[in-house]
Amino acid sequence: MTVERSYVRLAAVAFALFVAWLAMFTVTETDIAIVTLFGRPTRTVADAGLHFKWPFESVMRFDRRLMVYDPGSSEFLTKDKKNLVLGSALAWKIVDPNKFLQTVGDVAGAEMRLHDLVWATLAADIGRVDLTDLLSIEPGRARVQALADQVRSTATVETERRFGVSVVDLQLKRINFPEQNKYAVYARMRAERDRIAKEYRAQGEELALKIRAEADRQRSQLLAEAYRDAEKLKGEGDAEAARVYSQAYGKNPQFYKFLRTLESYKKILNEKTSIILSGNSELLRLLTQGKVPDAH
Amino acid sequence: MLIDVAPPPPASRDWRALLDWRPIAAILIAAYLVSGVYVVSADQQAVVARLGRVVDSRVPSGVHWTWPSPISTVYRLRVRETKRLTLGLDGAEPVNRSQFLTGDRNVLNIRVVVQFAISDPATYLFRAVDVNGLVANATRGALAQVVAGRRVDDLLTTEKVAVQERVQQLAEATVVRYDCGVTLLSVGLDSIVPPDEVVEAFRLVAAAREDGDRIVREAESYANGVVPVARGEAAQKGQEALAYNTQVVNTATGDAARFTGVAAEYAKAPRDTATRLYLETVDEVLPKIDKTIVGTDPKAVDLQFVKKP
Repeated sequence: MTVERSYVRLAAVAFALFVAWLAMFTVTETDIAIVTLFGRPTRTVADAGLHFKWPFESVMRFDRRLMVYDPGSSEFLTKDKKNLVLGSALAWKIVDPNKFLQTVGDVAGAEMRLHDLVWATLAADIGRVDLTDLLSIEPGRARVQALADQVRSTATVETERRFGVSVVDLQLKRINFPEQNKYAVYARMRAERDRIAKEYRAQGEELALKIRAEADRQRSQLLAEAYRDAEKLKGEGDAEAARVYSQAYGKNPQFYKFLRTLESYKKILNEKTSIILSGNSELLRLLTQGKVPDAH
Repeated sequence: MLIDVAPPPPASRDWRALLDWRPIAAILIAAYLVSGVYVVSADQQAVVARLGRVVDSRVPSGVHWTWPSPISTVYRLRVRETKRLTLGLDGAEPVNRSQFLTGDRNVLNIRVVVQFAISDPATYLFRAVDVNGLVANATRGALAQVVAGRRVDDLLTTEKVAVQERVQQLAEATVVRYDCGVTLLSVGLDSIVPPDEVVEAFRLVAAAREDGDRIVREAESYANGVVPVARGEAAQKGQEALAYNTQVVNTATGDAARFTGVAAEYAKAPRDTATRLYLETVDEVLPKIDKTIVGTDPKAVDLQFVKKP
């Protein structure tokens, strides 16, 4: 064995390794690969791992992961001619790398086409619904997600057919009025707040009046009832007294009259009274005539 | 190289030289293999891919070995870490990005905080380019959708928790559909306020509500004052009436008893008793009064003298 021969062997081994190297390629989990022969795709490799090819074939790799794209916000017109700014967010991925390679080539190209297609679909779909189909306080009336899904399914059919790209999800993440309408919107909001504020005050006042009126009514009712009961009680007392009196006095009315007259004298005759008494009166007869009354 | 520098060696020396390379090669190979040892710390999990393909998607913490680069690649992930995204109003974004329209066409600025965690490391690593972006979009979309169906007043007050729960449900469903290896832990409405341009009007509504409540409270306190007082007055009247009743009846009974007593005496000796009573009364009455006694013929009296000064 000479040195020259070992060189030749070394070179042969190196060349064999080089060819083997050319015949092998790996595909990672994030990629999908196309094997091309002089630019013409021969097959697609979607399995991650080690793969073999002819040494003169070359490999192109595409990202197969879910990608996020935000096409930005644009103004749209609803069926009832209301301007709305809508912003969407897309989740998309490459499903057919061959088509993708032939039509759009790279992610930026795909995003440009996604933008145009989604914009057009959204514009068409928004134009078919009223504002209340998007914004509504009626349960189940606001169908934002349904609209987004509809746009997505329309768009994905188109993108899969034309670009080998699938729109996995579309979210309407921004729904707003255009900036130039904001002034009017805010004015309306303020007016509405104003009305609600007045309503709160008016409701409070109404309730307060009711409460006061009810209290006043209760008060007069209580007092009236009390008056009624009191007068009744007094009347009963008076009646009872009258009954007691008449029962007592009724037995001897003459004597009552006499006694009562004497009582009256006590009351009606006082210091201010002047009385002229006749000497003939029974009281003074003794005084004026000096006679002892006849004995009976 | 050694072969070139050394004088032409015999065949045996050539073999010896080659033999001398073996331990070096062995050491190099051993060193290469040893470099495949890797450590996964306690808060991490690792994913190992060999020649691009995932061969172990959940390597627990500890010391492990795999084929070194370029054959294998080790991805370490902090799986227990809670990831947190704040969406809207945090300075980084323009204000109108955080604006949402309510069902009754009001504009609200909403900031939402979403928390999520890695549930499947391999999926998290290889299924999506921008997981944070996906989670953010799912949350925003859910929020826009839920807010579009609610009243502004409900959103600002009573429905906050319900909205939060609904947004989380919807966002979670979307994230599950993305299959990007994460689980949504929570969605929180961090801040929900009207835009600066109208915030004053909203404040006035709150003030008005306070006013309304105050007016009602005042009326209630009036009622609480008036009714018991009236009740007291009524009770007083009742007591007075009762007192009157008792008094008149007792007075009557007393008077009647007295009369009956006197009448009984009178019945025994009517004339004497009458005279006595009469004279007693005269005794009591006459001393106090101004008396003029005239002669026996009262008709002859000139009453002019009564009008004395």
